[in-house]
Amino acid sequence: MNSLYTYLFLAALLFSLGIFGVFQRRSLIGMLIAIELMLNGASINFMAFNRFLAPDPIVGQIYTLFIMGIAAAEAAIALSIIVAVFRRLRSINIERAQELRG
Amino acid sequence: MLPDHLLSWMIFFPLLGAGLILFVPKRYPTVMKGIALAATIPPLWWAANLYVQFDRWGTGFQYVEKVPWIRAFNIHYYLGIDGISVPMVLLTALLSFICIIASWNINEHVRGYFALFLLLDTSMKGVFCALDFFMFYVFWELMLLPMYFLIGIWGGPRKEYAAIKFFLFTLVGSVLMLVVMLVFYFGSVEPATGLHSFDLTILADQSVHQAFLRSHTIRWLCYLGLFIGFAIKIPLVPFHTWLPDAHVEAPTAISVILAGILLKMGTYGILRISYPLLPDMAREFALFAATLGLISIIYGALCAMAQTDLKKLIAYSSISHMGFVMLGMSVFSNTTAINGAVLQMFNHGTVTAMLFLLVGVIYDRAHIRDIDSFGGLAKTMPVYAGYTGLAFFAALGLPGLSSFISEALVLVGSFQQYKIITITATTGIILTAAYFLWTMQRVFLGPQNKKWADLPEISLREAFTLTPLALIVVLLGFYPMPVLDLIGATLKHTVAMVVG
Amino acid sequence: MIPENFIQSNLQGISFIGPELILTLAILLILLVGVLLPYWRHRILFTILAVAGLAGSVLPLWKLPQPAPDLTYLSNLFVWDWLTFLSKPFFAVVGVLTILLTQVTGEIDNSEYSECTILVLAVTMGMMLLVASTDLLMIYLAFETMGILSYLLVGIRARDERSGEAALKYVLYGAFTSGTMLFGFSLLFGLAGSTDLLAISQKVAFASQHPQDRLLLIVAILFFLAGLLFKTASFPFHFWCPDVYEGAPTPITAFLSVGPKAAGFVLFIRLFYPLFATGHDATIYEAVSGLDWPSILALVSAITMTLGNLAAIHQNNLKRLLAYSSIAHAGYLLMGIVSLSDLGLRSVVFYLVVYLFMNVGAFAVVAMVASAGGSEEIDSYRGLGARAPYVCVAMAIFLFSLIGLPPFAGFVGKVYLFAAVIYKKIYWLAVVAALNTVISLYYYLRIVKAMFLEKPTETIQIQVPLSSRVLLLALLVPTLGLGIYWQPLARVVSGMF
Repeated sequence: MNSLYTYLFLAALLFSLGIFGVFQRRSLIGMLIAIELMLNGASINFMAFNRFLAPDPIVGQIYTLFIMGIAAAEAAIALSIIVAVFRRLRSINIERAQELRG
Repeated sequence: MLPDHLLSWMIFFPLLGAGLILFVPKRYPTVMKGIALAATIPPLWWAANLYVQFDRWGTGFQYVEKVPWIRAFNIHYYLGIDGISVPMVLLTALLSFICIIASWNINEHVRGYFALFLLLDTSMKGVFCALDFFMFYVFWELMLLPMYFLIGIWGGPRKEYAAIKFFLFTLVGSVLMLVVMLVFYFGSVEPATGLHSFDLTILADQSVHQAFLRSHTIRWLCYLGLFIGFAIKIPLVPFHTWLPDAHVEAPTAISVILAGILLKMGTYGILRISYPLLPDMAREFALFAATLGLISIIYGALCAMAQTDLKKLIAYSSISHMGFVMLGMSVFSNTTAINGAVLQMFNHGTVTAMLFLLVGVIYDRAHIRDIDSFGGLAKTMPVYAGYTGLAFFAALGLPGLSSFISEALVLVGSFQQYKIITITATTGIILTAAYFLWTMQRVFLGPQNKKWADLPEISLREAFTLTPLALIVVLLGFYPMPVLDLIGATLKHTVAMVVG
Repeated sequence: MIPENFIQSNLQGISFIGPELILTLAILLILLVGVLLPYWRHRILFTILAVAGLAGSVLPLWKLPQPAPDLTYLSNLFVWDWLTFLSKPFFAVVGVLTILLTQVTGEIDNSEYSECTILVLAVTMGMMLLVASTDLLMIYLAFETMGILSYLLVGIRARDERSGEAALKYVLYGAFTSGTMLFGFSLLFGLAGSTDLLAISQKVAFASQHPQDRLLLIVAILFFLAGLLFKTASFPFHFWCPDVYEGAPTPITAFLSVGPKAAGFVLFIRLFYPLFATGHDATIYEAVSGLDWPSILALVSAITMTLGNLAAIHQNNLKRLLAYSSIAHAGYLLMGIVSLSDLGLRSVVFYLVVYLFMNVGAFAVVAMVASAGGSEEIDSYRGLGARAPYVCVAMAIFLFSLIGLPPFAGFVGKVYLFAAVIYKKIYWLAVVAALNTVISLYYYLRIVKAMFLEKPTETIQIQVPLSSRVLLLALLVPTLGLGIYWQPLARVVSGMF
């Protein structure tokens, strides 16, 4: 169980679930969560590779820490934009946002 | 006294005028027109001097100016003229001068009109003098901008359509030329420096072509690309549809420039670029080009016959006449035909300029150009009828007038190589005669149309624009040597190069 | 125990990020001023501070050593080559133009102005860092700095419905594609066990020999492409572009269309050439064996330009039209990337510089006309040539330059790109691009036609202030000048690769 491929499989699964979620969800919050799943998939990859393949410099772990930070920033900004849009539309359904088209 | 760098002066002097016009306050339109006129006189004087001083026996380029322009691409500011350029430069200078006078009645957006016109003048002269492929291309494209606006702003009712059609058609040809130009650039290495080159004189040397540029497919495609580009400009028949629209909608002076000079750039480009760079393909394409020439002659004449709009008729007659040029240029077994072709380029420039000016005269007065609505105009405007008669007879190739000689030379020369095509082309002359005479009859003879009974006679300004052209038409009809002298040596060289 | 020379070298390395540090100082200063003087929020003050910060950021460049391809600093996070060196002034100019454009047009309210300048400076800093990075971690951080802050910039007019919607779309697409790219990074890290591009490139050359590793590489490249094609607004990640460009405030649109796009292309050069191409010393590169990414990109290029141009034909909103045109230009620019040669890289850089002036110019005119009482719709440009001749002539020049007609700079840029693909004998792409030029002529000329050929529908006088005219002139000079004599710029880009 404790092999590289377990983690890689988990990462790939999370990433795919994330992609699926982005395309399938119509709710803005849901899409945001799906994107976070994608990032987590990448994080697990970094950690796993770091642990099993290149343990000496802990670059992978550092990378993961940064991803967490970035993800937080991204979520904060995305949420603030979603809130601003919500004030106008009174909805978090992406399909309501269709002022711009053509 | 001639300045140093004569060609540069000649090319860029009108541009100086254009710059000056931009600073004239709006309330002095006449000053702008004056400046425009003044900007075309010195180039005309220089062109005349060039004509006198040009060494008729030299085959090389004269008045050469060459300075590095962009070293990164080995582009040179490279000007020079040979026997083919001189008549074209002279024609450009003359028609620019005449067209400024013919545009005197332009009264809206005067500043823009004359500034753009002078820009057009610069780019046309640049095309005829450039010896660097890149420079040639820049001038070639530069011409499109003023032309688009001149047709689009000052044109007739369907000006927007005509302007964009002109632009799109020509740009298709241009971008193909651009691709071919770059293929040649990378396909050749200057022996002296080891650099790639845009220099047309170097590219003409087949030994500088690299291996991949020697492959038949590449050469064939390159020639095709260039040919389409130039054929659109000439225009040969499948590529001609922009021309009637552009001519009909353009203001008089611009029609004159279009027919008188722009069309010649197509054939000039073939002589200057396609033949020297790809002589083997020139031979291979000769029959095809001659056939297209023939189709243009016949198709143009037939279409002209069906027109009721005077301007459209002349536009189609241009297609027909340029067909003769293409036919003559496709003959390499003798130099008669190609001499005739270049002479025809010059003659068509003068004759068709007269025709468009004459249409402009009547349109300014009657505001229609419908052939059938006139009648008996010879009584109302005898002088006008006289000029028109001369122009029509010149256009239909009456012996004693200039076009007769050039068309005869083309037919005599091409008969040696393409018997059937030449014989068929002769019917084109008959058709041409038919539609011009028929038009003549409908407009000038017959019962006088009372509606136009009090049209004023041709004005002094208009007569002034027509007379020099009329003189040239008559003079070259009797004695074509002034032009043939000029082009003979160069064309002999060209044909020798193509035949190999 | 940290070795002495490690600290030493890092302290030295700090001088190399001088431009970024100065920008940070400027950002802090503006923030401070904005907080301390809440009732004195004059635009001009922030403008001066921001422009001074950007101008100051390029000053350290004179003090720094000669760039070299192998000169790295801060523990190999960054490289100090000519691309880094020259991209700093490039992005500084992008920033300055954006700030000035924001200043002269009234699209962004005074209440949001200081935040706007801060964000522009911060994104500029992100772009400067991005192009210098040679480490996957740093690339990701800089990429996100640039990305996340530009989402905010798009949505800065919070009360405007379109601005908010644009920001929403931008952030969702952006987060999605950067997540995808990050997954690609993680795979590459797994392959090489390092985030240093140099180390990775050696592993890649080795790994491409083995079939199962090659598959991993191909997946990684595809994931990479998601992020890069998104930033450069290329097919198939271009959908956000028209909406975001239309919804964002026009100066910000101009900024996005040249800044992050340019950064995206530089990142292409930074990532793809060291990692997936060999032959650094030669003038021609070769794709790492087994990975035919240039062919994929050539196809992407052809599709991108065709799609952008065809979609632009029907647009009536000028910002939207220019957005599609910017997609098409991304397609043209990709031609330089796929040509795998020094000439190709030069052509990309040359075109980016030229594109900066002409595209910002076109957007500037749109912004000026809109703020002078017109609108962004093509209808309000009818007969504008007679009412605002200076602005319209400038617009015509920018548009002709975008088409690629001589004697304007866009023509030279196009010649460079065409030359790059013809040099590599990818003739079909050259012909596709040539025909695309003709298509693009049609829709650009629609604007020119409306301005000069059509009669005005309204008679409101369009007054363009002097400051706007000066700004336009500053954009016109390079657009015209580089079209007539571009040897200086040609020399600069020739020295880069």
